[in-house]
Amino acid sequence: MSENFNIDDVSNLASIELSEDEKAKLQKDLQIILEHVEALKNVDIKDEKIDIHPLSKVLELRKDESKESLKHEDAMMNSPETKDGHFVVPPSIE
Amino acid sequence: MFQNKEMKPSELFEQVYETASYTESVLHAHLELFYDEGLKLSKESDRRYIKSESLGLLDGIPIAIKDNINIYGYKTTCSSKMLSNYVSPYDATVISSLKKAGIIFTGKTNLDEFAMGSSTENSAYGPTKNPWNPDYVPGGSSGGSAAVVSAGSAVASLGSDTGGSIRQPASFCGVVGFKPTYGTVSRYGLIAFASSLDQIGPITNTVDDTRIIFNEIQGYDSKDATSITPEYLKLDNKKVKVGILKEFMQEGVSEESQNEVNKVVSLLQEKGHEVTEISLPLTEMALSVYYLIAPAECSANLSRFDGVRFGIREAASTSYEMMNKTRSVGFGEEVKKRILLGTYALSAGYFDEYYGRALKVRSKIISDFKDAFEKVDFILSPTTPTPAFAFGEKTKNPLEMYLSDLCTIPANLAGLPAISIPTGLSKNALPLSVQIMGKPCSDYSVIDFAESIEEMVEFNYSANLLEENNES
Amino acid sequence: MNLKATIGMETHVELDTESKMFCSCEVIESEEPNISVCPTCLGLPGALPVPNKTAIEYIVMLSLGTNCNITNEGMFHRKNYFYPDLPKNYQISQFDFPVGINGSLEIVLDEELHSVEIERVHMEEDTGKSVHEGSGRIDSAISTLLDFNRSGIPLVEVVTKPVISTSKMAVAYIEELRQLVIELGISKGKLEKGNLRFDANISVADENSNELGTKVEIKNMNSLKSLEKAIDYEIMRQSKQVEKGESVIQETRHWDENKQVTISMRTKEGSADYRYFSDPDLPNMIIDQEFIKNSKKKIQNLPTDKRKTLKESGLSLSDSNYLDKGEKWLYDLYLSTVENTKDSKSTFNFLTGELQGQMRKAEIDKLPEWVDSEKLANLINLFETNEVSFTSAKDILAKLLGEDIDPKSYASEKNLIQSSDDEEIRALVTSVVKDNQDIVERLEDPDDKLVGFLVGQVMKSSEIKVNPGTVKEVLLKELFG
Ligand SMILES: [Zn+2]
Repeated sequence: MSENFNIDDVSNLASIELSEDEKAKLQKDLQIILEHVEALKNVDIKDEKIDIHPLSKVLELRKDESKESLKHEDAMMNSPETKDGHFVVPPSIE
Repeated sequence: MFQNKEMKPSELFEQVYETASYTESVLHAHLELFYDEGLKLSKESDRRYIKSESLGLLDGIPIAIKDNINIYGYKTTCSSKMLSNYVSPYDATVISSLKKAGIIFTGKTNLDEFAMGSSTENSAYGPTKNPWNPDYVPGGSSGGSAAVVSAGSAVASLGSDTGGSIRQPASFCGVVGFKPTYGTVSRYGLIAFASSLDQIGPITNTVDDTRIIFNEIQGYDSKDATSITPEYLKLDNKKVKVGILKEFMQEGVSEESQNEVNKVVSLLQEKGHEVTEISLPLTEMALSVYYLIAPAECSANLSRFDGVRFGIREAASTSYEMMNKTRSVGFGEEVKKRILLGTYALSAGYFDEYYGRALKVRSKIISDFKDAFEKVDFILSPTTPTPAFAFGEKTKNPLEMYLSDLCTIPANLAGLPAISIPTGLSKNALPLSVQIMGKPCSDYSVIDFAESIEEMVEFNYSANLLEENNES
Repeated sequence: MNLKATIGMETHVELDTESKMFCSCEVIESEEPNISVCPTCLGLPGALPVPNKTAIEYIVMLSLGTNCNITNEGMFHRKNYFYPDLPKNYQISQFDFPVGINGSLEIVLDEELHSVEIERVHMEEDTGKSVHEGSGRIDSAISTLLDFNRSGIPLVEVVTKPVISTSKMAVAYIEELRQLVIELGISKGKLEKGNLRFDANISVADENSNELGTKVEIKNMNSLKSLEKAIDYEIMRQSKQVEKGESVIQETRHWDENKQVTISMRTKEGSADYRYFSDPDLPNMIIDQEFIKNSKKKIQNLPTDKRKTLKESGLSLSDSNYLDKGEKWLYDLYLSTVENTKDSKSTFNFLTGELQGQMRKAEIDKLPEWVDSEKLANLINLFETNEVSFTSAKDILAKLLGEDIDPKSYASEKNLIQSSDDEEIRALVTSVVKDNQDIVERLEDPDDKLVGFLVGQVMKSSEIKVNPGTVKEVLLKELFG
């Protein structure tokens, strides 16, 4: 890894603004962890099948029936800003 | 307890609350106490017992809930600044089950922010202290849930376990902690850290209490697609085969911790159980696998915390800036670290090298455990490499902190049931425990077997804090 | 250098289910915001997704309808990107293992059949709706209002291979796909409601080159007309650049309906790294033979089958395609009517031209119950066999739409039946020829325009109750032997 790890790219993808101090500290810690996980490269993993569920459960599908949703007031009760029943955010187009 | 009228539910509630009133100032284990609601509900429970209409064994029992499980109308903060003002508009499935059983909630307990950590030092609201010695950590991430049971400010509690977050703090606090088989307890309403690893479970004083609570919260839930319809294995526990995991009985695990296992082995052999050493070399990779899979899943699970629909919000001139700033201010350092690690592990060009590879090694670990359980019924190991450590001792290097989950992580990776029970005290008078892992869906057998060990070891100590305060 | 354009289409189809894709909220059409939302589709902490069986069934049906191979063990993936109307900031989608792969869709362009290769058919969930508030201009919004009623509505995305060469072909493809989802009963298929939303990937390259040019994605085309215009504009724009030797930038562009141009979008999305990974909340999905069989049972009449039936009735490919894409009742009416008429083309013309025209004029969208295929066939036969003139047939039809009449009895009653009696006509012809000797002398051949004049004279003298065809026949025989 390491030489390719660009904290600015990653924090941008993760949508988290970081101060310069934070960047330095996190970069150092992440380096330690990424070096540790290098050990995995020594494991032979050819032909290994992947199951999402640790017990290999197969997905069960839900019958298409509508049920009661959240009351509008409950849906909006945590909204930082509300207008006419909408959630309001600063403009999402630049 | 209430059936033979020794005590009324409201009396027990008052007693637990009184304990909380003097332990909380030292421990900071509860983030919020539900006194008024709890008292009201316990009085309703009183009336049910008088009319012989009790809802069952758990009716009127005061239980604490880890603050990453949603209870309708109450705050669920995950010990994060991000959710400091978040009030849940719905009940987690486990909460609905417990409400139906007549359980009284004492309140919400402290945790490492978003359940990421092993010491409860990562809480945005300050750490919880260990009831055995307030200079030491209670473990984590369910540190608050373990501390309240240990200190007696709740009869039992619910925690969540992603890499040891129930068992490790239970071990540090000298109580019983159980992580059920993945899928037996619904995750609906548990704020996800790593979805394929998270599991809710009880923290209690006795193994029997664990059995009763697990019985109430387990079962298929149509709201959780990973939930299973468990067909529990029933083993005859009279003569069992126990495997001692070689990899957890060597360097990296303290002698004190190893000695507890050896002590239990002798007791088991006395009772005629067969004990053998087994080796699962890949468990040495478990930590690496875990620190790729858990961050990868969490990086997406925690994307929804963006200041748009709930939680705190930072002012900004565009949505994107608002989200960036809110996430910067709302998340603590450890959470940011894991989100960034997971984001990197999933990013273009690195997926196969990191996340893809970790998934495949995990599959191999799962099949290794399957093979091992062909030979033995249970696997015995220390729960933690050391007893509780002091505050600040492991905050310098992330790996040192992560290593305290060394013995607990494999059960999460393989979805296995695992229980931690206290067996003795360290030279510093801190609790030590052993862990028992079983086959998938052998939860009740694991509990039964743990109960037999509980009887053999006769762990009769209790947290110092309680005694000191009682004397004063 | 001759240039060729290559187009690939990505179409999102909104499925017509009762509940959403991953939660039990009702799928509603409402102006009132945030009234059909729950912890799952609002992305509240702790909520989990459980997939809708009918939606999966619909996706399998569409995969079968586009001749795709069905992936038996499928997976759901998280597509990660931050956008305020995407509640979880990831969308549950499918990446490595879509439900359907490698299919094709037969389309009609003029009188030719084409096959459009389909790359994949996969599940997605819809986002919420953003309304930008401000001075009315998109670039000066002061805030964005969010409504999550739409969040989590099941979508299926159909992606073609880059095999479409013209805007007309792209339009024909969308029309065909639309008809398919309507016929399958899996979507309302209304473009104006956004039930079908399409993006086009367009590139331009030397026609002799085996390699494709740089791909540009065009979004925001809300109708078939804007699709056609946007593609034409974009091909022209890219061609000019290629001809000038400039390189085309790989980017996403918006179709601007007002300016009728495509505009570059500078958004985060363009360069996004979506970090797809399998959703740990959703175990592997098995689509077994039983499931496929049950989905197949629900498929009745595919547009290709309908078109085949129409073609077998004697219609041309484009006429078949027209009826195929039209309303169901017209298709049914045509098929039952043509059984009792002799000419499929004139039946088609009468129903799609005259009948539909009169209905439009009368502002009725449903045939009166007494107008059945039998009466219409009788009417068509009346003018086909020259028993009544086409003009009379039109009048009879107008009457028929107003009240329950029998076309033939009505024609007799109103004295509209044309005489085909040769004796009678011969007498009329002889008399007209005698009265118009000067014209007859100027006639050079049977194709002379003046023949028509003479026919007209005969018709006039009979007060338009004779069959003009017979008149002409008799007249020509009289004049040229
Ligand atoms: Zn919903």
